[in-house]
Amino acid sequence: MTRFLAALLGTALAAGAATASAQSITVALNADIRSTNPGVNRDDNTDAVVLHMVEGLVGYRANGSVAPLLAESVERSDDGKTYSFRLRQGVTFHNGAPLTSADVLWSWNRYMDPKTDWRCRSDFDGRNGLKVEKVEAPDDRTVTMTLDHASALFLDALARTDCGGTAILHKDSLKPDGSWDKPVGTGPFRFGEWRRGEYVTVARFDGYQSPPGDKPDGMVGAKRTALASVKFLVVPDASTAKAALASGAVDVAQVLETDVPELNKTKTVEAGFYPSTTKHTFLFQTRDPLLGNVKLRQAIAASLDIPQLVAAVTNGEGKPNNSGVAVTSAYYDAVQAKGYTYDPAKAKALLKEAGYKGEPIKIIANKRVHVPSFNAAVIAQAMMQAVGINAQIEVLEWVTQLDRYNTGNYQMMSFSYSGRLDPALSYEQFSGPKDSQPRKIWDDPAVQDLITKVSTISDEAQRQAIFDELHKRQMEATPLIIFSNGQEAWAHTKRVQGADPWEGKARVWGARVVGN
Amino acid sequence: MLHFVFKRIAMAVPTLLIMAVTVFVLIRLIPGDPAALMLGDLATPASLADLHERLGLDQSLPVQFGIWFGNMLHGDLGISITSNQPVLPLVLDRFWISARVVLIAVLLASLFAVPAGMIAAWRQNTGTDLFLVGTATLLYSIPTFWLGLLLLLFLGLQLNWLPVVGYVSFSEDPGAALLYIVMPVMTLFLHEMGVLIRMSRASTLEVLRLDYITHARAKGLSESAVLWRHAFKNAFGPTWTLIGLVLGNLLGGIAVVETVFTIPGLGRLLVDAIFARDYPVIQGCLLFVAFVYVAVNLVVDLLYPLFDPRVTAE
Repeated sequence: MTRFLAALLGTALAAGAATASAQSITVALNADIRSTNPGVNRDDNTDAVVLHMVEGLVGYRANGSVAPLLAESVERSDDGKTYSFRLRQGVTFHNGAPLTSADVLWSWNRYMDPKTDWRCRSDFDGRNGLKVEKVEAPDDRTVTMTLDHASALFLDALARTDCGGTAILHKDSLKPDGSWDKPVGTGPFRFGEWRRGEYVTVARFDGYQSPPGDKPDGMVGAKRTALASVKFLVVPDASTAKAALASGAVDVAQVLETDVPELNKTKTVEAGFYPSTTKHTFLFQTRDPLLGNVKLRQAIAASLDIPQLVAAVTNGEGKPNNSGVAVTSAYYDAVQAKGYTYDPAKAKALLKEAGYKGEPIKIIANKRVHVPSFNAAVIAQAMMQAVGINAQIEVLEWVTQLDRYNTGNYQMMSFSYSGRLDPALSYEQFSGPKDSQPRKIWDDPAVQDLITKVSTISDEAQRQAIFDELHKRQMEATPLIIFSNGQEAWAHTKRVQGADPWEGKARVWGARVVGN
Repeated sequence: MLHFVFKRIAMAVPTLLIMAVTVFVLIRLIPGDPAALMLGDLATPASLADLHERLGLDQSLPVQFGIWFGNMLHGDLGISITSNQPVLPLVLDRFWISARVVLIAVLLASLFAVPAGMIAAWRQNTGTDLFLVGTATLLYSIPTFWLGLLLLLFLGLQLNWLPVVGYVSFSEDPGAALLYIVMPVMTLFLHEMGVLIRMSRASTLEVLRLDYITHARAKGLSESAVLWRHAFKNAFGPTWTLIGLVLGNLLGGIAVVETVFTIPGLGRLLVDAIFARDYPVIQGCLLFVAFVYVAVNLVVDLLYPLFDPRVTAE
């Protein structure tokens, strides 16, 4: 018995020691990944893990612009329809094979094959407007892609994280029968093991060729890693993740905003907030008999003390933003910074003008842990009631809310949009024809024309002018109230530095272990 | 006996069929489209149509049911929408993980609770009785998620005796596996012990009031002989039935405990599938849970005559 207990204790100590092994860290995921197949069967956790192993021709910088990644340079023809990608020299796949233009062609053809189920195929085959008509490889290091029309969003679409960054994969990623096996990419980590429901491990790729840069910058910049391995461990419960951080069993985790002050009081953990382009909003159904009245929507906007609301839902860390352009974007300027003003007297006057007679307005919200939907709805309800609006809250499970969003079946909704780095894509998320897409919020053909225009032109000044115009129109029409961008609460143990997440996703190639 | 077994199995068939239809219909009555959920706010009409087609959700409900039911009769519960894995092996894999925790916990709880309940009944209205009933009520009243978190904070964080997160299978490393399941087992053990102590006490009290117990005492038998030789068998019957129900219930899913202790078991699979509207997995899990419930109770019924010979299979 004594020997058995000693063996158990030995195992426990070994388990403890394993967590502190040099240059190996454990990152908590709140749910298991869906697959290892880039852009196919995915969610945010899947993208986060997979993008440690694969890379595309281009990737996002932290400010939302697109930069070469596997490409050394990208040239666009004068008519804006042909893109020429020159590949970086010396890049190899995890199996040691050198990256060539043939691999790019193979990857592209695989993505465009309906059997692959690549979620972004419709963004490149013409069904969503843009069509890649031709992809060629004139030599080993050059790939050209020809579009049916000029598009300012083509590189963005290639870089999108939900598309798996349109990762360039080696043929060995597939089994002999053509089905998916594992990612054999060019990323800083190579695939280790996936125990479904438990964890995914990745190990440093020693043959990695980093893009230029002295520090990580979004999905580009310096990507050579000091870590030997990373274990992405599934920890669904936020309280357990917090305990795991405090015990050192987990090094990096997304945490609840409310836990940040408490975690910062511990000796071993540091917690903070990281911005993302996620948009936290109140949506209005502009076809609702009540909320179809723009005066009423403007009254609601005037009734909200947005800085106070944002401070309350982000523990004082968030910055209000009423624009579709994220505060981290290169296009966020003084015009975008101009938001709604809290003015209860104006709200009451607008209510009178709108002929509002105290009819109930229902705000749909959900209680997902890492979005402020419910908390924001409660605060908005109180502020709206203070000016005489009969605001009520209906809490729904997230999938049910999403269904109501997709069908447009609501009056008002506290809703968070996933991040969009290019502002044109951000505006496109909520603008469009309600008849064919009931989920769209802002149905204005003139606005749609502006979005189409800004999606085709590349000149930054012209684009800025259009984004400014869109913001002014949005503030006037108030089809929705964007109140802030994401402020994601993350924590890490003090033994690990440089594990800053990006866009709400774990990103640890810049991390290093500095203590025990 | 064999006739009884076949009869009980035959009786389970309509139960499972009704369950299959009910689960299929109910899950589709809940609002939410798995394809829309997978694509999120990034969905376009084209990508949504693609995914509906791939998942077979573009077919009418009767057609979907017909395909699923036909495959089910051949032992094929379908493919998970979210993970692309075959449902039956997935459910079985996760079930064995949950089953280990549940079986150990219920076994330990039974071993402690039955004697404790009998002693409480034997010492009715004494300090011992009050202590045992009070403890049982307290244990039963504490929600498992809170009890689990308390254990996690105390044994894992404060004392650093046990790993806070993770799971190791027995086939991989039995020693480590044991360490990782101590807290979940302890959580269930403490909670279920509360339930079983109360049942054991109540049924023993009833038996101790019967004439044959008075007769045994009048014969001059010692209290331990009266209790263990004469009262135990009759008093254990109702507790045994409850153990069966508890076991069936827990084997059907201990999602909360699995979530707190990061155990990739059946309960977590089911809850995740519900949130993802992964219809094949939800259907497979619930059907399997119903089957386990029926099977466990069948075994309990078949073993009942061992404790109470008055009850026979016939």
